[in-house]
This record gives sequence, structure tokens and C-alpha cells, in this order.
Amino acid sequence: MTKGTAASARFVPGQPDMWAFVLFEALVFTAYFMVYVVRRTQSPDLFLASQAHLDLRVGVFHTLVLLASSWSVARCVKAARARSYRAATTNAFLTMLFGFVFLVSKVIEWATKIEEGFGFTSDEFFSFYYFLTAIHFLHLLIGFGVLAIAVHQLWSPARRSQEAIETCATYWHTVDFLWVLIFALLYVMR
Amino acid sequence: MRLLLALMALSAITIAQLGVGSLDGRDAPNAAITSGAIVIALVKVRIILREFMEVRHAPVLLCRLTDLWIVLAGVGLLGCYFVGMAL
Repeated sequence: MTKGTAASARFVPGQPDMWAFVLFEALVFTAYFMVYVVRRTQSPDLFLASQAHLDLRVGVFHTLVLLASSWSVARCVKAARARSYRAATTNAFLTMLFGFVFLVSKVIEWATKIEEGFGFTSDEFFSFYYFLTAIHFLHLLIGFGVLAIAVHQLWSPARRSQEAIETCATYWHTVDFLWVLIFALLYVMR
Repeated sequence: MRLLLALMALSAITIAQLGVGSLDGRDAPNAAITSGAIVIALVKVRIILREFMEVRHAPVLLCRLTDLWIVLAGVGLLGCYFVGMAL
């Protein structure tokens, strides 16, 4: 196969099973989001008043950090494909670092809200806020385990599997794009 | 280079959302801001899927399935918002 043909060949990044999982998760989260939007339209004043207690700048910061993590894990995949395993490992660790910054910042945001008196049972908006952000947080925690698998793969020449690394990256990107939607619905919409 | 351009575009759109979200009138529902937020979020998701997740190099079936989900999510979310507000 020539280089040009190889570059233009179509391929599924990672294992197809992971893509089935990604599409399933996307549908499940879409259902959560639709329930949130319906409930929101039934009590718009309450949702707007509670939403005003969230800091949009914090939401933007979280989004930028997760976008950067998606970028670095995409670079990890490309570097591994080019057999630049050192660069791939560096990018995998960089992704973990961005993920950790998100994790710490999210915990601080939760702690601040609880300190201000906005807990899970305060009102319907905050019930959705904690539910959606917590279920996303759980996916993020699983993502650290998935990234550890990618690093484990990259660490030893005997274990390196491009498909496994791409599968891990696909999972991490899912954590990112689900947050993009959560950000729009919790912080921006009115 | 393409990955960096995608990141820059996604970051610029996100920062622009900061401006839109900070507009006056946070005490009243706003269909334009809500529609914009949902559509922009779905555009960002499509960029992530195509550029970072390499769906643009994937078989046509995967491209179609991801696009179908984006359309379903958009129709579902906007439909819920406008029908819910009308009730």
C-alpha cells in the first residue's frame, strides 16, 4: 500500500465495541438532557434564579481545560501511530494533568456551592446540577483508569497496541464532548 | 497543526459563549440564547468527533451514525424547550 493510499484509507479509530458504548452513552445522556430541559421549561423562574448562582467563568474554564485534554490525547494517538512513543507518553500524562485540574476545580466548585447553601436538595435546578455533574465526574474518574491503561500500553514495547491506545482516547473524548453539552445546558441556556 | 486549529476554534467559540452568557436579562427565559447555546454546543461536539476522534477518517456508517445522533440531540433538546415553553 502506498503512503497516499494508506493516508486516505478509512478506519475505525479503536475498537468498534467502544464506539457502540460511545453512541449508547450519548443517547443515555441525551435522555437526561431532555428531561432537564422539559423540567426547566415548567419552572423557568426557579431555574433562572438558581442558575444565576453558578459562575459562568468557572464553566468556561472547565470547558477549556477538558478541550485541552482532548487535544493532548489526540496528539498522543497521532504520536503513537508515528511510533514516537516518548511523545505519546508525554501527551498521555498531559491529558491526565488537564483531567486532574478539572477534577480539583469541580470539587472546589461543589464545595463552594454547598458552603453557600446550595445542596442537592435545595431546589430542582441544583438537583439536576449535582446529578449531571456527578455522573460526568464518575465518567472522568473512569477516564483516569482508561488513561492509565494507555500509559501501560505505551510503557513497554512488548505491550504497545495502537488499537488499545485509540480505544482509550475515544473514551476520554466522550468525557469531553458530554461536558460540552452539560456546560451549555447548565451554565449558558436561559 | 490541524489538531491545534481545532483546539483554537473550540476555545474561541467557548470564550464567545462567555460573552453571550453574560448578556443582560439573566432573569428571563431567552429562546435565542438557548437555541444558540444548544446549536453551538452541538457544533463543538461535531468538531470534537470529526477532528479529535478522527471520525472524518472513519467508515461512512460511523460518520452517519454520529451525525444522526447530533441531529437527534438537536431536534430533541430544541423540541423539548420550545414545546415545553408553549405548554
